Amino acid sequence: MSATSHAHHDEAGQAPLVGSLGVDSRKLGLWAFIGSETLFFTALITTHLIFYARTKAQLMADGMLAHMDPKHFLGINLTSVLAAILLASSLTMVLALAASKSKEWAKFRFWLLATIILGSSFVLGQAYEFTHLYAEGLKLAPQYVFEGETVKSLFGVTFFTMTGFHGLHVTIGVIWLLAVYFKVQRFAASPENPMDVELVGLYWHFVDLVWVAIFTLIYLI
Amino acid sequence: MAEHATHDHHAEAHEAHSTRFYWMVGAVLAVITTIEVAIFLVKDAIGHELFLAILFLLSIAKGAGVVMFFMHLRGDARIFQFVFVVPLTFAVTLCLAFLTIFSHHVGIAG
Repeated sequence: MSATSHAHHDEAGQAPLVGSLGVDSRKLGLWAFIGSETLFFTALITTHLIFYARTKAQLMADGMLAHMDPKHFLGINLTSVLAAILLASSLTMVLALAASKSKEWAKFRFWLLATIILGSSFVLGQAYEFTHLYAEGLKLAPQYVFEGETVKSLFGVTFFTMTGFHGLHVTIGVIWLLAVYFKVQRFAASPENPMDVELVGLYWHFVDLVWVAIFTLIYLI
Repeated sequence: MAEHATHDHHAEAHEAHSTRFYWMVGAVLAVITTIEVAIFLVKDAIGHELFLAILFLLSIAKGAGVVMFFMHLRGDARIFQFVFVVPLTFAVTLCLAFLTIFSHHVGIAG
């Protein structure tokens, strides 16, 4: 028993929360959460794709697909920039983690602050996109209006639910990043810091991963 | 016992990479995103099937890059790979099955 405990002490003399599986329980819990979130976002994406296919089939049957396709609402100019922002934030996040592990706290603060700014930019960009789409006629409602004509479709409902939940996750991520930033600043000597950064980093990369899927499946295809 | 625990501890510690490596991965992911957008712009010229095939391959490569190198799943403890890959496989299978079954189904909620 004592040998096991001894084996798990890190360089700082702090014992990680190692469970019976021999891994840190917090990290295992977060990976399990990410697994459940994978199912959650897949359900949202699948629902959107199904209802888009149905809308398309209906429009095609009515001979209106060419000019009433709801995909006309979704441009890729802004979302490409948003994809680049989130990708860049993943890079700054992993650089912050590397700096925290090598205890380079000035670098860590710089990269984490960069991640927070990039994450906030993404949220603002998405808020702009939503406002723009609402003004154009795509709403969280079972119909959309395109060039004065109303089409009954759940495209708007499923689109805003899916991307809205993703935006909510990014917002929660930014809040979590801010909490870690101030915690590390307040307790710079805490041996828990690298694990705190690693946990928020895992969550942040997952949020980026979801956007990779949404960008491809919803905007590009 | 101690040997076993030490082994697990080593398994948990993921691969350490230099910051230069992360910059390289970030650059590759940026290039992939640029290619995705470029292909989108010329999709009418290359045909729908080829467009989809290239886009899926690029997206899978990008996602795998994030998971393996930024989330450090490659080289990390197998239990982490298990709790992520199993739901992911389940989710992708369900997505494909539901798309096949329901995309053109007209019935309740239709």
